[in-house]
Amino acid sequence: MNSIYSVVDYLRDLFTTRLPYFPSNIRSALIIILFCAIVFAELYMYIAVRRIRQNAAKRKKDKWNDTISNLLANIIIYGDDDDTETIINHFLPQFKKLPLYRPFIKKMLTKELLEYHANFIGKTADVLRGLYLRLNLHKEAIAKLKSNYWEKKIEGIREITQMNLRTEAENILQFTDEENGQLRMEAQAAFVKLSDDNPFRFLDRARERILDWHQLVLFEVITKTKNVQIPLFSKWLSSKNDSVVMLCLKLVNHYQQWDAIPLMVLLFKHENLKIRARAIENIGKMEAEMVEENLFEMYFNQPIEIKLNVIEALGRISSGNYLDFLKSRTYSENFKIRMAALYAIKLHGPSGEDLLSKIYHDSTFQNRSIVEHVLDQRIKN
Amino acid sequence: MISKILIVEDEVLMLKALEFRLRKDGYEVHTAADGAVALDLIQAQSFDLIITDIMLPFVGGLEIVSKVKGNPQTKDTPVIMLSAVGLENIVLEAFQLGADDFITKPFNLSELSIRVRKHVKQPSI
Amino acid sequence: MSLYYFFFEEFLNNAIFYYALIVMFSYIFLTFLSAVEMKSYLRKNSYVDYKAILVSPHAPSVSILAPAYNEEASIIDNVRSLLSLHYSNFEVIIINDGSSDNSMAVLIEHFGLEKVKFALNEQIKTKPLRGIYKSKDPAFSRLTVVDKDNGGKSDALNMGINVSGKDLILCIDVDCIVEQDAILKMVKPFLDEGKRVIATGGVVRIANSCEVRDGRLISVNMPDKIIPRFQVLEYIRAFLMGRMAWSRLNGLLLISGAMGLFDKEIVIKVGGYNHNTVGEDMELVVRMRRYMHDQDLRYRVVYTPDPLCWTESPSSATILGRQRNRWTRGTMEVLWLHKDLFFNPRYGFLGLLSYPYWFFFEWLAPILEFVGLFCFIIMAIMGYINWEFSLILFSMVYFFAIMLSTIAVLFEEMSYQQYTKGSDLFRLLGMAVLEPIIYHPLTVYWAIRGNIDKLTGKTSWGTMTRTGFKTKIKQAA
Repeated sequence: MNSIYSVVDYLRDLFTTRLPYFPSNIRSALIIILFCAIVFAELYMYIAVRRIRQNAAKRKKDKWNDTISNLLANIIIYGDDDDTETIINHFLPQFKKLPLYRPFIKKMLTKELLEYHANFIGKTADVLRGLYLRLNLHKEAIAKLKSNYWEKKIEGIREITQMNLRTEAENILQFTDEENGQLRMEAQAAFVKLSDDNPFRFLDRARERILDWHQLVLFEVITKTKNVQIPLFSKWLSSKNDSVVMLCLKLVNHYQQWDAIPLMVLLFKHENLKIRARAIENIGKMEAEMVEENLFEMYFNQPIEIKLNVIEALGRISSGNYLDFLKSRTYSENFKIRMAALYAIKLHGPSGEDLLSKIYHDSTFQNRSIVEHVLDQRIKN
Repeated sequence: MISKILIVEDEVLMLKALEFRLRKDGYEVHTAADGAVALDLIQAQSFDLIITDIMLPFVGGLEIVSKVKGNPQTKDTPVIMLSAVGLENIVLEAFQLGADDFITKPFNLSELSIRVRKHVKQPSI
Repeated sequence: MSLYYFFFEEFLNNAIFYYALIVMFSYIFLTFLSAVEMKSYLRKNSYVDYKAILVSPHAPSVSILAPAYNEEASIIDNVRSLLSLHYSNFEVIIINDGSSDNSMAVLIEHFGLEKVKFALNEQIKTKPLRGIYKSKDPAFSRLTVVDKDNGGKSDALNMGINVSGKDLILCIDVDCIVEQDAILKMVKPFLDEGKRVIATGGVVRIANSCEVRDGRLISVNMPDKIIPRFQVLEYIRAFLMGRMAWSRLNGLLLISGAMGLFDKEIVIKVGGYNHNTVGEDMELVVRMRRYMHDQDLRYRVVYTPDPLCWTESPSSATILGRQRNRWTRGTMEVLWLHKDLFFNPRYGFLGLLSYPYWFFFEWLAPILEFVGLFCFIIMAIMGYINWEFSLILFSMVYFFAIMLSTIAVLFEEMSYQQYTKGSDLFRLLGMAVLEPIIYHPLTVYWAIRGNIDKLTGKTSWGTMTRTGFKTKIKQAA
């Protein structure tokens, strides 16, 4: 016991009576020690308390989660013969019995309803939407749009879109010019899904660059949403915003919009190589034989990547008019060009295969191995 | 004789929904939350129908199709693939491997019931 | 005479104090930065639907490159788990680096492989190719197995780059356990940065004592043995605090060899991995960054804090010692190879901060610590030590260290919370108390041994071509 007291006494003296007499560095060190020790002890306690609370919350949550998901699963197995309204009326009282005045239960129910709704269509989805509305959960979603946090706004927008509350489209419109990129994109995507009159309005006004990630999401939304009025995207191919051009090129290809072909030929001269490459790729994928001459003419002044694109596009078009040109490319010094040319020849069907066997017989060892590579069906690119 | 169906799906919610629904339709339903467990089950017993998600932990849906269709004992068991919209490439691969049908999420449960009934040879009770 | 000793002791105390102060301040600064970066990452990505990448036809294409050397026992499970990763446009390239065991035969047998007529475009020079194999079974059409003469990990990866037909390359250790969403999460930065992203790194975690089935992680446990347990804490600190801070500053020099996603075009332009160093993972990133500076291109190197890759770490002090010895040598080699970066304003942040940081903190710090201790012992023997002052200074460093580790544990708690059992959490906090007095001195000792081995030209742990691929990560901040 004595020794413990003496340690305590020693430490107390160290930090009180003796403190002013130490050299400054030792004094600072003592203060730093005190500080670190206190922070350490507090963090330790904080972590412990956090864990205990978390576990309690989780137990509570698990219990309710089970109740809610069983309720929802019962909807799934409800008879096909009853009409939507009857089913809703059957289940509504059961849902109303839940203590929805408790925020976490309301949140949990909303989340589950949305998740189920996303996975099903038909009557199940209609019933889920009906319940969502009758439980007045949509009012929360609309309120979220007024939040100060962009995350909350996104949450609200997603909920509204998932439950297809079309009357809110105009309300969401305001966010399509938002400074926060993520929120802006979510709003644009929602607007495409919800707006009846001009879902692609945002493309006219987009001044900021649409990040690749946002392009990817918007493309998914535009192409996967049913009943969207698809415009002619050629309208935006002359946009000053490169990212808008890029997105529209992807869409032009997806919807095979032939009217865009002349404009895409103009893009062959675009200074952004990615746009140039995508325009050429589109021409190939749309098998636009009428502009293959333009492809051929541009070839010689291009960097390697663009040349590869041109060769591939000629292969896709495979009119046969440029077989000699493609054959000449198999003498290129660049391995990738040789391989691309041989692949392009292969795409020409029987005439291409004839040419390949001819090339195989009268060419160098390395070209032979590339021909073999190209003809090996097990290798896919 | 009640038909036995195996559902392979890693999303708990979806698995539960399918299980409830098909059980109600009168089938004997077995479930697996990942591909590895599914393969073990398929080896141990025979099923009248297998419904599998394409994206699965451990062993992908494609491998399940290839294993089922590659084994003379199970090659006649119909397989329905479940997939998210946009995985058409993989669905195509699944068909090449011998998958019998596919359903894209989100889907209509009544439609699923009908499709299942078509593929299961023995009628449900 | 005694006056000199007195001054020397005064000097030593002051030197220790101010050196410690500088180190502590930089750690506090880095901790602050990583907190900011973690928070913004978690905030930004809590609303991301990764499914969009999964189904999109415009997601970048990825080749997974996994070199294998004598991995016969586990290779099948590992390859299968790689093939079942969640991504649509990817291929898996296993490079058998002249294994002396049956790896190749096992692979051929299990996946029904056949040799194909592959025309190799040798963009980076490597050891000779023996053959390229694909499966007869269309279910494994994503798999390519490359058989080549033994040339070490770098050489194998370079061969993989030559074979790869995709835009991005994910270089991993084949025995790592990779999370299903790893590619999705690592690809995302390539899509959502204003600047060109040339590489992203994934966080590596310790898999010892975790439950693993068929090459997949089932549940996370705290390692039973003490050495890996120390490493759990060390890795959490290094990744969640160090790497995230450097990612924020865009000053990352190292992406761990266990898992990194790179822009293939740039990797080829800089000539691939360097096989003359044991620090090839760090060396590549430094060279890529230099290249971007030389070309005046704006770029970023990014870290994703999600735990994406789990690895079995050395559980005995001897093996861990060898690993750390190699890391030290790797660091020295990279620093030496790129010595002209040192405070070179032409390379901006890279030359003025990242490189000097590595020089002073990663390479020099253990040496200074060692020298300081050496002086202290000499003084103690001569009897010129104020024990009380010395003890206070040591305590300062000690308490600071445990505080820092506790903050790291807090970061983990507030972000990913992998250790769900309460007992595991408190064991981890216990490690924070023990680490500075047990584990840290060992790491200093190994670093010194690494320095000595490098300077005396003794690389006692086998030549490059004969080592397996056990280098996992580099020690970081």
